[in-house]
Amino acid sequence: MIECRAISSRHGSFHLTEVSFTVPTGQYGVVIGPAGSGKTTLLETIAGVVPTMSGVLLLHGHDCTTLAPEARGLGLVYQHAFLFPHLSVAANIGYGAASADVAEEVARRFGADTLAGRPVRALSGGERQLVALARAFARRPSVVLLDEPFSALDPRRRTIVRREVRTLHRAWGVTTLQVTHDFTEAGLLGDVAILLDGGRALQSGAPDDVFRRPASPYIAEFLGAENVLAGTVRVLEDKAPDWIDSDPSTIAHGNRAIEFTTGPLTLYTIGDFPVGDGYAVIRAEEIVLSLEPPSGSARNRFRGVVSELATLGALTRVTVEVEGVPLVASLTTRSAKELSLTVGTTVTASFKAMAVHLC
Amino acid sequence: MSAPLASPSAAPARGTQRVAAVLAALASSLLLLFLAVPIGKLIASGGAEGVRRLATDTELRQALWLTATTATVATLLGMAGGTPLAYLLARRDFRGRAVLSALLDLPLLIPHPVAGIALLLLLGRESAVGSVLLSAGLRVVGTPLGIVAAMLFVAAPLFISGAREAFARVDPRYEAVARTLGDSPIGAFRRITLPLSRRGLIASAVVMWARAVSEFGAIVVLTYNPKVASVLSYDRFTGFGLREALPVAAVLALLALIPLTALRTLRGADDGVSP
Repeated sequence: MIECRAISSRHGSFHLTEVSFTVPTGQYGVVIGPAGSGKTTLLETIAGVVPTMSGVLLLHGHDCTTLAPEARGLGLVYQHAFLFPHLSVAANIGYGAASADVAEEVARRFGADTLAGRPVRALSGGERQLVALARAFARRPSVVLLDEPFSALDPRRRTIVRREVRTLHRAWGVTTLQVTHDFTEAGLLGDVAILLDGGRALQSGAPDDVFRRPASPYIAEFLGAENVLAGTVRVLEDKAPDWIDSDPSTIAHGNRAIEFTTGPLTLYTIGDFPVGDGYAVIRAEEIVLSLEPPSGSARNRFRGVVSELATLGALTRVTVEVEGVPLVASLTTRSAKELSLTVGTTVTASFKAMAVHLC
Repeated sequence: MSAPLASPSAAPARGTQRVAAVLAALASSLLLLFLAVPIGKLIASGGAEGVRRLATDTELRQALWLTATTATVATLLGMAGGTPLAYLLARRDFRGRAVLSALLDLPLLIPHPVAGIALLLLLGRESAVGSVLLSAGLRVVGTPLGIVAAMLFVAAPLFISGAREAFARVDPRYEAVARTLGDSPIGAFRRITLPLSRRGLIASAVVMWARAVSEFGAIVVLTYNPKVASVLSYDRFTGFGLREALPVAAVLALLALIPLTALRTLRGADDGVSP
């Protein structure tokens, strides 16, 4: 388990400020955040190479706040690998290895065994990352800290190596914390997502929660939410309007039926949010487009005109202007073709009340 | 009609650039000649005689041997004390680092006879330290120990400065990785930082050794006799004139080629330390 309790540290002029989160034992945490948000400093603080100024760091329940890096039993992989250039590939992997057998096994798993005869300086960036991963795992650490470890790998190799990391993580019960810029990777790998910005943890939790229920409009936009609308929240007097029943969630846990007004549009949602100003976040994949008004259960339906189409491989992003408010929907390119969407097509954009997240 | 490729002011600008380039080349060539010609003339005039004298001139041989051994001892002492200091300055951010750096550079800035006088004040028989050393049977002034002290004082800052740069060139994240792989701070220094900064450290030691060999001002105040090569060449010049001083000076100039060649070889082989 990695448990950070309000840890603060300083690296040069950069400050990590009261960061708190927990990655339970054997789980996979992902740290996401813009460049310069303190992701690497966070890993270095957990590793002990950047001293903690305040707060408490627990690794598997033991207070490691002031423990030397070599006594923490963890592995650290930097984005730029930092292989020891005066040593061979094999010596790098064997450096600190639990045993020769473990070193051999991890080298084979990551495909670094085929590089053993080559000088470190002759390796490509991707090959260096493979060796760095093998070197860190060869120690059989109980905690592994990975700083964008797949960034230099080609897509095919990235998939294979990611799978191997996941396999070792599960087989050995290694608690893992990985920095990534890739939201897909975060969703694929992570049991816990930690969003970092300006040296502070803005939000942490299950990746799905963080992505679907961002704590602020800034987080929503950073996480790629296409529809972040400013408006006013009003709680409906009817605590259980008829549209509630048709949604998967009903009024429970203190949730209320809410009306959210943004410009000329009125959205309906369910939640526990104070009356007043707020933001509504709707992820593009939650919006369904149809040529005719749908017969489904979606509470929010708006007629609008397609103003922009952007095809990105298998997915197409469609911007629909609804009374001057742009709503972005994401649908498969095949669906877009089936609907014969072009700029100017009139469509209905619909989404469920539960798809609207207020923050 | 195609657009003009350059504005009308481009031609005079090119002319100015050409004149600037010619002036720069001229100034560089003159400086190069000024630096190289005297040494070349010295070696050409006295080199052959100097090498011949090595076989016959016992005092010259002894002076060269004394110079080499005292410079080597001073360099080893400088490395022993200077390496931790250089590492500290390269790696740690602490209060007073700027003051410490300035203090370490001070011996490079003061005139070397002044350095000799300062050392005399510290190590002379009248001083507290000097009398303690004397009572322990160690006489500094007028002995090879005084030569080593003078050499160490004027040349160690060069080693520290070079070693600091060599350590700074090794990214501390190499050590960080080694620490997470189980190394203690000393283990990471020995197994990672030291090998990665080896060339820079050796180059700094060579520079220090060469500087120690060429020292005159501080040595002449502390220990005129026994004579190191630089003092001998001065002694021959003042006692017997240019003719006698020339072979000794030429041999010293030739001696300087050894560390110079070593330095160039080391620097040529150094391709840096990057992740």
